[in-house]
Amino acid sequence: MAVREILVYPDPLLKTVCTPVEQFDAATDALVQDLLDTMIAAGHSVGVAAPQIGTTRRVVVVDVSKSKLGRDRNHGQLVLINPQILEREGQETMREGCMSVPDYTGNVNRASTVVVEFLDRQGNDQVIRAEGFEAVAIQHEIDHIDGLLFLDRVSSLKTDVFRRKR
Amino acid sequence: MKHYALTIIGRDRPGIVSQVTEILFRQGFNIADSSCSILGGQFAMILIIAHPAHESKEAFVNDFAPLEESGLSVFVRTLKTGGETRPHLEGEVCMISVYGSDKPGIVYRVTKELGERQINITDLNTKLIGTEARPVYVMMIEAVLPDNLDAADLTTVMSGLKQELQVDITVRNITPVEL
Repeated sequence: MAVREILVYPDPLLKTVCTPVEQFDAATDALVQDLLDTMIAAGHSVGVAAPQIGTTRRVVVVDVSKSKLGRDRNHGQLVLINPQILEREGQETMREGCMSVPDYTGNVNRASTVVVEFLDRQGNDQVIRAEGFEAVAIQHEIDHIDGLLFLDRVSSLKTDVFRRKR
Repeated sequence: MKHYALTIIGRDRPGIVSQVTEILFRQGFNIADSSCSILGGQFAMILIIAHPAHESKEAFVNDFAPLEESGLSVFVRTLKTGGETRPHLEGEVCMISVYGSDKPGIVYRVTKELGERQINITDLNTKLIGTEARPVYVMMIEAVLPDNLDAADLTTVMSGLKQELQVDITVRNITPVEL
């Protein structure tokens, strides 16, 4: 329906804990469509969370199927409403960037596999197991609806290998 | 606004950063990009600073005299217009790990290959580890590749050097993921 502007920090909405969706009405459906349109319009984006477009609701969209890193392991276009991570396994470090924090990247440790429970666009209960880049993207987007940016999770300066005690 | 590069180095101890930044704060400087690290027993600070009024470093270098008196070395470079802005670098970002028995020329030989191919080093750290009897040299390089090269090409280039220098080298793509 509409490509919306991506808010950038220090917009306070990005640091807001979002509220769950309770009704699957036209407004919720429109929000989902705006998130998908915005994600697709921002050609390089693999996910957008509702607060990034100014709506503090627990809705995110993720699609890593078009990206080199996620091409082989993904669930296609995902609409995650009121998502909850049930299980985390393994660890993976990626240098993350975010459209809401331009010109900065940082190493973030995340679980390499997550089991996520959520409601889909129609309001049906779903559970998936996501791995690799898709798992990272889901965790990054869910952080957004909890008011967290990747800056809150940067694990190390560039070359942490040197910072350890000998 | 006029920009300056400020470099400060001295024997490491707690309190260096606050001592330096208190002077900058009181003089009305802005700190833009900065990087500070411990190297050997020295603490090294590199900062890009800006001042709304000072048009040349002569106006303020004397303010750093207390730093020199406390044993720190201070160097100020005046930046030409635009010198404070990081250029946008396209291309894959790679991390190159080089490690092996210490010997002369590791840094030079590796970086020569990079420079000749227009590979732009954006960060480089080296550290001597291991024991006195068996010193091991570790170098980590972050570099941006030009459009005509990818990580696989660079791995090929580095495999020749592995033989020549008898060190281990791995190249991996660390291009940031935009989420």
